[in-house]
Amino acid sequence: MEIAYFLGCIMNNRYPGVEKATRKLFEALDIKLIDMEGASCCPAPGVFGSFDEETWATIAARNLTLAEDIGADIMTECNGCFGSLFECNHMLKESEEKKAEINANLAEIGREYKGTIDVKHFAQILRDDVGFEKLASLIEKPLDLNVAVHYGCHFLKPTKTIGIEENAENPSILDDLVEITGAKSVDYKDKMMCCGAGGGLRSRDLDVTTSFTKEKLDHMTEAGVDAIVNVCPFCHLQFDQGQIEVNERYGTDFALPVFHLAQLYGLAMGLSAEELTFDAQRIDATPAIKKALGE
Amino acid sequence: MIIRGVFSMSIINRLKSLFKGDNEEIDINADVSNTSDDVQVTSSKTESETVVTEAEPVVEAEEATVEESEDSVEDLASEDIKPEEEKVETIKEEIHEKVEAKKEEIHEKVETVKEEIHEKVEAKKDAKEADEDSNNNDKERDKMTLLTDKELLTDANRDPDFTAEFIDSGIETVKHCFQCGTCSGSCPSGRRTPYKVRQIVRKCLLGLKEEVITDDALWMCTTCYTCQERCLRSVKIVEIIKKARNIAAHAGYMAKPHKMTGVFVMNTGHGVPINDATKALRAKIGLPEIPPTTHAFPEALEEVQKICKITGFDELIGYDEATGGLKE
Repeated sequence: MEIAYFLGCIMNNRYPGVEKATRKLFEALDIKLIDMEGASCCPAPGVFGSFDEETWATIAARNLTLAEDIGADIMTECNGCFGSLFECNHMLKESEEKKAEINANLAEIGREYKGTIDVKHFAQILRDDVGFEKLASLIEKPLDLNVAVHYGCHFLKPTKTIGIEENAENPSILDDLVEITGAKSVDYKDKMMCCGAGGGLRSRDLDVTTSFTKEKLDHMTEAGVDAIVNVCPFCHLQFDQGQIEVNERYGTDFALPVFHLAQLYGLAMGLSAEELTFDAQRIDATPAIKKALGE
Repeated sequence: MIIRGVFSMSIINRLKSLFKGDNEEIDINADVSNTSDDVQVTSSKTESETVVTEAEPVVEAEEATVEESEDSVEDLASEDIKPEEEKVETIKEEIHEKVEAKKEEIHEKVETVKEEIHEKVEAKKDAKEADEDSNNNDKERDKMTLLTDKELLTDANRDPDFTAEFIDSGIETVKHCFQCGTCSGSCPSGRRTPYKVRQIVRKCLLGLKEEVITDDALWMCTTCYTCQERCLRSVKIVEIIKKARNIAAHAGYMAKPHKMTGVFVMNTGHGVPINDATKALRAKIGLPEIPPTTHAFPEALEEVQKICKITGFDELIGYDEATGGLKE
């Protein structure tokens, strides 16, 4: 099996440990990740999508053509990238009119969107293409960790177009994937709520964004978890960097370390905290990692 | 029958001039016409006329008797018959008394009608004022609804082209909204900001372009899709918000940090470009220092830049090619 690996921006340019863990995981799963050379920003749905649909769709379609050239479906580990690429692919497959409009732009750079590939989310591939059993066989030592799973928004929604089989109000895909590592997914109030970063809000109004994040952190802390697990580098950044911003604004002392699901798997497969670049994250993950590994 | 009719008409005229009843009737009409802009007041005017006319036939009958008597008095006097004269005098007096009584009676009736009309007009005025008061109350209550402004919205406030933009771009579902408010009730942003998604959807359908695009609250949506998932009418709410933002952006309503994200993409191909710290981190864990993206492929970056020029995105954000920043 081959997959066109879409890196995006935040994961590879801020949290490379996520990329490292993913490459290791897929190596172990014997799935070949092919780099989409020259890929750009997805582009961000909150900024480009909110400013000019045509620009958003043309840049997204250009990224899609890179995977079409490779001849493989795209995998992304970011909800924002997934939202943009999936939505654009869906729109161009559904509408000949839009396809013609976007292809007229792509022709100017010598490209053409054909509509021959699908866009998939990392967690979707793990559950639907790899399967729980195979994943479980990779776990060297089960992790002892209580975590708050954060789904994020552009992973399962809008359900009418995103084909992942789930109940968007009460899903289990990420909880199931977390629990294969031995960690326990703890329920908490308003679990499906947004982290507050999306839609261009983080760059425009940090006060509003952090008020979302504080509400989530309050509820996660009340549930007594050791860490947060997500599947989106932008949510990851918001809980990591944003947690510092919340503490500054509200005088709180939140200290919940943040794991991308790939990092959780990396840890369970024996990668070190340094290889997973936890040492470069704002919130110290050392206590949680020690607990998880029984040290 | 015809003769009697003509006869009666002359009596009426004489009677009218005799005791000025007609003047008063005119006064009544004048009173009424002062407030005649109101349809309901006009109807009371008609009523008063009806009342006055009803009084007249009574006068007619009596007057007929008076006229006839006067004729016979003249005839009798010419024949110079004394006792008859006395009789006539008595009758004349009686008639005079009767006429005076009638005059009084009619005058009273007219006064009563006049008063009634005056009361009705006043009642109407009060009712009208009361109506205006309740309108004022409604205006205050409108703080809880769409109409937060002091003046009423009319067709002049609407821009049908604005509504058409949503429908033409495939968001026909904007028309399906029945304003239940499930969206606002589900919205995490609405709990902490003035962002009222139900109102925005309504305003987009009504074509209240300026209200929508000038409102900063439009940018408080994180596009979390909770509203759209729960919408009972399957309205593509997030699409509506994004479309409204597109229209706002093209009208010049764009935050500088948003333009800067556009600048980053135009300069590097990434909204969040790489930095030295991450390069070192990547090298440390055995990844290529520069990821295999537009960062590593300049010709790929040129493609992204060309796209931004073709679509006019560079102009839209005010990109300055010379400085690689924003103009101004």
